[in-house]
Amino acid sequence: MLRKLTFLAVSAVIAFGTLSFDLPQKSEDPGDRLIGIWEPSNGRSRIKIDRIGNKYYGRVVWLIEPNDADGNPRTDINNPNPDLRNVPLRGFRMCKDFVYQGNDEWSEGTLYDPNNGSTYNGTIKMRDENTLDMRGYIGVEAIGRTDVWKRLKMPSRKK
Amino acid sequence: MNYSSCSLVELSIFPGLKHNNMYKYAKTIGILAISILSFASCSGPGEIHEYSVNDLEFTLEGPLFAGPNGGQEAINISIADALGDAYVEGMRISDARLKSATVFPNDSLGFANVNAFVVAFASDNEDVSMQEAAVKNPLEEGATVANLEVSSDADLGEIMADGKVYVVLDADLAEDYWDGNRDFKLNFTLELTIK
Repeated sequence: MLRKLTFLAVSAVIAFGTLSFDLPQKSEDPGDRLIGIWEPSNGRSRIKIDRIGNKYYGRVVWLIEPNDADGNPRTDINNPNPDLRNVPLRGFRMCKDFVYQGNDEWSEGTLYDPNNGSTYNGTIKMRDENTLDMRGYIGVEAIGRTDVWKRLKMPSRKK
Repeated sequence: MNYSSCSLVELSIFPGLKHNNMYKYAKTIGILAISILSFASCSGPGEIHEYSVNDLEFTLEGPLFAGPNGGQEAINISIADALGDAYVEGMRISDARLKSATVFPNDSLGFANVNAFVVAFASDNEDVSMQEAAVKNPLEEGATVANLEVSSDADLGEIMADGKVYVVLDADLAEDYWDGNRDFKLNFTLELTIK
């Protein structure tokens, strides 16, 4: 009897140990610090950065002028692909394919300017948890422009 | 050996090439070039196969805010499965275009307060960029099915060639939605050019 109980107890401990190892671990990917809502320096838009696979993408979630002169929601009228000029600008992914390189830097991505339909190479450097240096460039990184983005807090539920 | 001939040899792309051998080398290179061109033309433009994915489920997790809200699903594109017995080791996707994309509601809310849908495809490959491929904007009021307008110019070949593909569905909502999630299903068909 004692032997049976001992066997059961040992089995339970082994089973519990196995289950413990199988529990999902919380993701602590340092690249995920980029995820959030950010505001470019001109304050005319807000960009939400999310992760898809192992890359980071930012899409417009708010525009100071969401509608065109006719009162219709703005679309990506300058897109080089005519088939996509009907894509809503609110929701447009203007930052694409950024990969975390370590050392608070994301690169290999592109930045899209809906004002002229141009796409630039991009790098992102996190100065601190709430400040990003977004650099867009063509060809050589040294020749480009850097904009400072600030993190916004998520809105709380309306009363 | 005079100075000029020595100089010619040293600066040549092919060290050791001399005038009297030049015709022989040129002939060999010519034959090689013609062989390569023949091989390329024999391999042809590739065969086009349709590849459909149905009932791909997306959950947009609440709280959702007015504006764009995205869902993503990872799928594996297998040309071996698509071709069956016709598959030969080494075949690859050289081009892919979206032929159709249709979104269905997958909860009791239907398309309530949905203004627009966009479908995009992405890959983990650092050399390949995400591509938007279909849009429905605006979505007609009372619609129960959304047939998206596809972009034939969206080149999805490199994304599909990776095998693992992220399908992204963005829904533009007219109002905040705090209580629960929104669920949709997507059917789409690709035209894959396989070599």
